[in-house]
Parts: sequence; C-alpha cells; structure tokens
Amino acid sequence: MRIGFNFTLGDTAPLVRRLLAAGRIDYVELLIDNFLAVPPDDLADELAGHFTVPVGFHIMFSKFIETDEAALDSLARRLRGLIDRLKPLYVSDHVARFTHDGRQLYHLAEIDYASDYDRVRRRVDGWQDRLGQRLFLENYPSIMDGGHDAPAFYERLVRDTGCGVLFDASNAVCAHLNCGVPLEAWEGVIAATPHFHTAGYNLSILQPHLVLDTHDRALSEATMAFLERCRDRFDKPGATMTYERDDNFDEDDIVADLDRLRAVFAPRIQDRDHGRIACLAQN
Amino acid sequence: MAASLALPRIDADLLDALTVPARQGDYPRDSRAFVRIDTSLRIYWHTLFDICPGLLDLSGPDGLAIFRPFMAWAAAEKLSLNWTYYLWVDVWLAQSAFRDRVTPELRLSLMGASAARWATGDRSEAGGIALGCAGLPDLVCGWKTRSILSGRRIEQFTLEEPLPPPDGPFGFFTIAGDDLPDGFPGWTPIPR
Repeated sequence: MRIGFNFTLGDTAPLVRRLLAAGRIDYVELLIDNFLAVPPDDLADELAGHFTVPVGFHIMFSKFIETDEAALDSLARRLRGLIDRLKPLYVSDHVARFTHDGRQLYHLAEIDYASDYDRVRRRVDGWQDRLGQRLFLENYPSIMDGGHDAPAFYERLVRDTGCGVLFDASNAVCAHLNCGVPLEAWEGVIAATPHFHTAGYNLSILQPHLVLDTHDRALSEATMAFLERCRDRFDKPGATMTYERDDNFDEDDIVADLDRLRAVFAPRIQDRDHGRIACLAQN
Repeated sequence: MAASLALPRIDADLLDALTVPARQGDYPRDSRAFVRIDTSLRIYWHTLFDICPGLLDLSGPDGLAIFRPFMAWAAAEKLSLNWTYYLWVDVWLAQSAFRDRVTPELRLSLMGASAARWATGDRSEAGGIALGCAGLPDLVCGWKTRSILSGRRIEQFTLEEPLPPPDGPFGFFTIAGDDLPDGFPGWTPIPR
C-alpha cells in the first residue's frame, strides 16, 4: 500500500516536502483543478523540483453531473494535457450535488441514488470519454438514510460504466455512524478498487450529533479499526491510500496518523516471503 | 410549525431548505434533518463573516441581524450564492437598516472576497477577474494561482482615469492572463 497526502494549496508545500523527505509518504495527491491556471510547463517543473514522487489527480469542482457540455469540454482539454504529461496514479472526482435550482450548495448534498442513477451513469460515461481516462469516484459521507443505497449504486455504476470507486474509508464510517450503513456493505467495492482516501471527522455543533467529514483532526479509532479489520481487502498491488487534511495542519498529529497507516499496511511476513519467491522466480 | 413535514429519508428531500434559515423550523429540533440544515447554513455564515468580519460590527457578534434577512432575501430573489455572494450582500445592505453604516472599506472587503472566491472556484480558462462598483472608483482584481507554491492574489487598483461605472451596482470583466488589459472590454453585469 502506498501512502499519500493531499496537496490543495501552496501553503502546505513545506509540510508536504518534509513528509516526503522523512519517507512518510510515497506520493502526493493534487487537487488538480486548483492548479489549472498554472502554466503546464511550470507545473511540471515545479512538481519535479518539489515533489519528486508520483502524483494522483483529485478533481473537486468539475461538477460533471451538472456542468454544461461546453464548460466540461474546456476543462477536459486542460486536464487531458496534464494527465498525458504527468501520468497520475489515478484520476478521481466526486458524485454529489453542488447546486440546487441554480443555487450553490456550500455543504455538498448527497444525490438520490435511485432517481439520479441514469443521469449519473450518462454523465460518468461522458466525463470518462472526455478525459480519455478511467475515473475513480468518491463515495459521499452520508447523513440521511439515502446512504443505505450507496454501496449498491457504486457497484452498479462500476459495472455499467467501467469507472472505479475512490473509496473513502472515513466517509463510510461517517455514513455508518450517521445512518447505520453497515461497513460490510462496502466489501465488494473495497475489493474491486485499489484507490482509497481517509481523514479525520468531527461532530456537528447541535445534537443529535452528525458526524461530518471535516478533514481537520486525527483519524478516529473507528476508522482505524475499520482499516485494520479489512486490511487485506484494502491492500493489493498498486493500492494507494491518501490521507486528507484541509485544516488544522498540526504536523505531529499528521505524522502520527501517517505512521499509524504505515503500520497497518506494513508488509507481513507472508507478503515478504511471497515477494522474495517472486523475485527469485524472476531471477 | 415544527414537524409539519414528513420526516425526510434522503438528503435530496432537504434541498429546498439547505439555504433558507426559515425552513429549518419545518423540522423537529431533535431530528437529523434539523441538524443537517443547520450544518449547511453554518457554512454560508462562516463563508461570509469569517472572510468579512467587518460585517459583525454592524450586526452584532452572532451576525444574525444580517445573515437571516439576507438569506431570506437571497432565496426570494433566487440568487445563486456563487462567487457573487458578497456582492449581493452589499446590494442588500444598501437597502437595509444598515445602509448608513456601510463604509467604503467594508464594501471593498466584500468586493475582494468575491474576487477571491472567483479566483479559487472558477474553472474557466480565464486567469483573472476585475470588479467595478458604481459608487467606488477603484478596481478590485482576483488572480488565479500561477504556481503550486502560491495562492490566489487579490489586488486593488486606483486608475488615473477611472472607468465608467457599470450600469448595475457592480460589473465585471474577466482577463485571459495575469495582468490588466490595455483596453477596457466593458462591464458585464454580475450574475444573480
């Protein structure tokens, strides 16, 4: 399992460089649409100079389910140039509602997995065609009971479109704590994808407390227990686990979480033996 | 009025209420729906007052004397609450009981906040935006990040010869590169 860290804005570049220098992360996940105004040559040079590791691309605001086709064409043209040039480990995006009746939702809303399915499927097909790339789509941290429909929705979407799931383990824990979606319901999704996210979450101010995907604190014990319990289902050749932090950049806290993740996914003796045998066979 | 609606099952059942403070009261206070709407509204609150804390000097520390009536008005006017959010707050303030206490500095901070929001959220090929206001001579510009090591920039320009005022309360034009153009392309009215 490769462990990565998200990079969304320039402010955190020194932190990311320290994590890389200490060997705590193996790749950097770029919130790529934040950097689309950086000239591509400069972007490539800066990445080569500062982050000498592979990158993943996480798209935040394509709004590909809602955005008009001309805007998606423009966005895809620029993204494709970067995909071709930087060859990211994966390209991921979001299935969520960004607007309602033309009004921008600042806390993204969850789609209606039943009634929105056909539209989302068509949009995923179109967005993958435009990008010339398999997309990995992130699961939503459900609050309401519609979250129960999410695992089957993603399994069907993967079957119908060939997309993958960027499975966010802590989002699944949020959905479990908020509306009781069993973590076991995601087993098929986890087994089928190599790309994962995880982050800390917080409670709503009002009660009954909602569990909100805030990316501002340490991983919860529930998330760690989930990862440990399903460790073998998550880990596979080419697997990535991005640790997301978007606020409260307490470096000791972040390092501790990355070390915990590293420990969970450390190669086991049988993995090492298997690897040695494979190496011997190649020689 | 609480519990007048059937308890929602899915998030989409709450979409009409996520931007309207008055709709929160449609749901029991101890329900997930009530807290879900509260969570949504708090982000609009923080997006406004964390970025423009000068507004709290007008409203009082909880901001609600501005936030609640503005959000109700914005819903009635079907405003998009996109990058123009702060500009429409300025428009609302000009017709509110606070109108005589709105300073040029506060207005410029609202323009800067909108320019910054455009610079971080816009996904078009434009590199910058210039905002003009009917009552202020300066331009406020927002520039998208041009390096992975930096962030968006906000600048205020005082022109030797001020541009003609926009027809509405605000106008904008986008800029392909990262410098003000030589010519004036004309004002586009801000989107609702």
